[in-house]
Amino acid sequence: MGNKVILLGNEAIARGIVEAGCEVASAYPGTPSSEILPAVARYADELGTRTAVEWAVNEKVAFEVAATASFTGKRTCAIMKQVGLNVAADPLMSVAHFDLAGGFLIVSADDPGPHSSQTEQDSRYFAMFAKIPCFDPASAQEAKNMVFDAFDLSEKYHMPVMLRPAVRVDHCRQDVELGAVKDLGRKADFKKDIRRWVCLPAHVRITHPQLNAKLDSVREDFETLYGRYNYEVPARGRASLGIIAAGVSFSIVMDLLKAWKREDISVLKIGTPHPLPVRMVEDFIARHENVLVLEETYPVIEMQLPDRTHLKGRWNGFVPRAGELLPEVIRDLILKALGEPLPVEENSELKAAIEELKVTPKPPMLCPGCPHRASFFAMRKALPNGIYPSDIGCYTLGVNQKDVDTTIDMGASLTSASGFYLAYKTDGKDQPVVATIGDSTFFHMGILGLVNAVYNRHAFVLAILDNRITAMTGGQSNPSIGDKLRKGDEGRQVDIEGVVRGCGVSFVKVVEPYDTTESAELFKAAWEHARTHREPAVVILRHPCMLLRQKQAIVKVRVNPDKCIGCKYCTNFFNCPGLPFDEAAKKAKIDERFCVQCGVCIQVCPHGAIEAVEGEEE
Amino acid sequence: MQYVIVGLGGQGILFTSRVLGHIAVSRGERVMGSEVHGMAQRGGSVISHFKVGPYESPLVLAGSADLLIAFDQGEGIRNLHFLREGAQAILNLHDPAALENPHLKKYAADRSLSIAGIPGYQILREKMGGRFLFMNVLMLGAMCGINAGNVSIDEIRETVAKLAPEKHKADNLKAVDLGYGYFKGN
Repeated sequence: MGNKVILLGNEAIARGIVEAGCEVASAYPGTPSSEILPAVARYADELGTRTAVEWAVNEKVAFEVAATASFTGKRTCAIMKQVGLNVAADPLMSVAHFDLAGGFLIVSADDPGPHSSQTEQDSRYFAMFAKIPCFDPASAQEAKNMVFDAFDLSEKYHMPVMLRPAVRVDHCRQDVELGAVKDLGRKADFKKDIRRWVCLPAHVRITHPQLNAKLDSVREDFETLYGRYNYEVPARGRASLGIIAAGVSFSIVMDLLKAWKREDISVLKIGTPHPLPVRMVEDFIARHENVLVLEETYPVIEMQLPDRTHLKGRWNGFVPRAGELLPEVIRDLILKALGEPLPVEENSELKAAIEELKVTPKPPMLCPGCPHRASFFAMRKALPNGIYPSDIGCYTLGVNQKDVDTTIDMGASLTSASGFYLAYKTDGKDQPVVATIGDSTFFHMGILGLVNAVYNRHAFVLAILDNRITAMTGGQSNPSIGDKLRKGDEGRQVDIEGVVRGCGVSFVKVVEPYDTTESAELFKAAWEHARTHREPAVVILRHPCMLLRQKQAIVKVRVNPDKCIGCKYCTNFFNCPGLPFDEAAKKAKIDERFCVQCGVCIQVCPHGAIEAVEGEEE
Repeated sequence: MQYVIVGLGGQGILFTSRVLGHIAVSRGERVMGSEVHGMAQRGGSVISHFKVGPYESPLVLAGSADLLIAFDQGEGIRNLHFLREGAQAILNLHDPAALENPHLKKYAADRSLSIAGIPGYQILREKMGGRFLFMNVLMLGAMCGINAGNVSIDEIRETVAKLAPEKHKADNLKAVDLGYGYFKGN
């Protein structure tokens, strides 16, 4: 019996990566994958491995750094979230054709629901598109086990292998077995071979058929050698239903059957959805008249079956084509597939209570004291008729107070600003446009849009909301900070102003966003510059994220009820959790449970009703 | 044993399931849970599922939880449907009148739910200088105060002492005792 500890699914994956002898790990943070890389660094420190562990500026960079390190014969991995894999799609498609030397693992974490993503996509589909093998874990322990098999498989066939944990595996907490580090004793040894490492068309004409052959062999392996991940839990006697289940859906099915004490349902677990062990699945289907397929989120298993006409799944809409397969959803699907009545949940009294008490789910908001709120307030005050393309980060939450008009993906604030500029320019109109982007997102994919805008002379304001951290995903380092993950590793700060100037921007100003008056003046001046000079102007609003808990002035505030006229300007334009509107009193109030005493709201009230409490300033 | 722990992002809910998990594993039991990280944590509604025993999946099915711990009463009320018949709930109250809502009382009575409330904010305001960060351990103490959760107050004290950062250890234990004492009257 080994050493068991409670780990987050992502920590279990990280532990597997270190134990399996991975020597280069690169990632860009993104929920639900963000906790993996810091845990890799922690275990590498604890276990004394020489693993290089780095945040990359984006997922394409992470992918290429890690993939290339594997050309030397070492084990490496690139870690990202589902939409990160979109960014890394280009190298994924190329490297899939390579005859790799060392094991190369891609961890792409999916977000069915979605909970924290701009899409609800399925990385297994990407594995299919790239023709690479994919493991789909059902628990934290299984995810850890699969890391070893993924590396081994990658080295057996010299191809990249994907581990696709979905959010409920990434963020589950489970007792997991710890092991020792596999010391592979490898030395970097890059053997030059252009047919192997240069993706010329002439080479692809050879490597593509090779890739197909590898995939056929992997499929055969999945049919026969991976019984620990692909297995049947048979019914007792004749089954009234057969369920094919992958990922956490399998775990949910098993808990339901146990709670129901039902033994008339057989379950086929699939842990390797691509390439699908088709024979195994077809054999299961042949033995069951009634088959339900549960997988997240696309019908990847179903799609690989030559005949899916008799299946109840995502393909024919029996299983909803979108959304997370929560236990309640799976329960109802199983009962529906069996033709049995759904449980009657008499919740009308609870619903009535919830309605009377006005209990509503709280959407996420910018934190109290968040510098972005102040930046947005100044932006809207200065340019109230502006169009506000924004980006991916905490500041997307500015949508709550109408400070975000568009968001596409990482870096699109800039390119959207260009799009708006051009669309209005062709009408001969000067439309103010302010793009907002965070420090980490600027480095991730913002710089290229800026170069494009300088080159093509697009007039708009770029506001870089520099809070000195990658905040939304939990506070990771990035080039604007320069910290690295492993003990003793030193990075270097990359100066945002220098980068912006280097791109050819002449208007670059830095401001403290808590001073909303000065920030607003700067926004106006920047737009004036952009408009008259036909070029982007950049304002950098710099204040550390509140989650970093850095020392700052404490300004205790109160709402003067004699001055507050109940106009809701503060709730509509500032929208701070610490400054709600008291519907009974028809006035704003300070909620001391949330207020962090930043004092910014004093500048917000047009009637001067928000006041500093005398003698409390420090 | 299946727990559902709800509240608002930033209230320190994750530490609660860490403590419960630590206790379960030291008893040699298996644990499985689900947490919320990322965007949903920014002050919005958060829910943490936690199961002790031979479970395979991290999520609690609606209607099957043994205990609901709510750091925010609104979130607690919204999530009562997770409880099985005869289950318990402990809610941090900022507006105790809500528990007197007749629909709510009927819903609870029909299912033999026992719903207890503790004015957590008020206690922390009066006894701990308004440091609401300690809500999570206060709620653990309160849980033991209503004899729920299948763990003893000594186990909670011992585990909080082990897992809390050294400089906040005394305050954490004080908050545990404030939550416990509210029901046990000491």
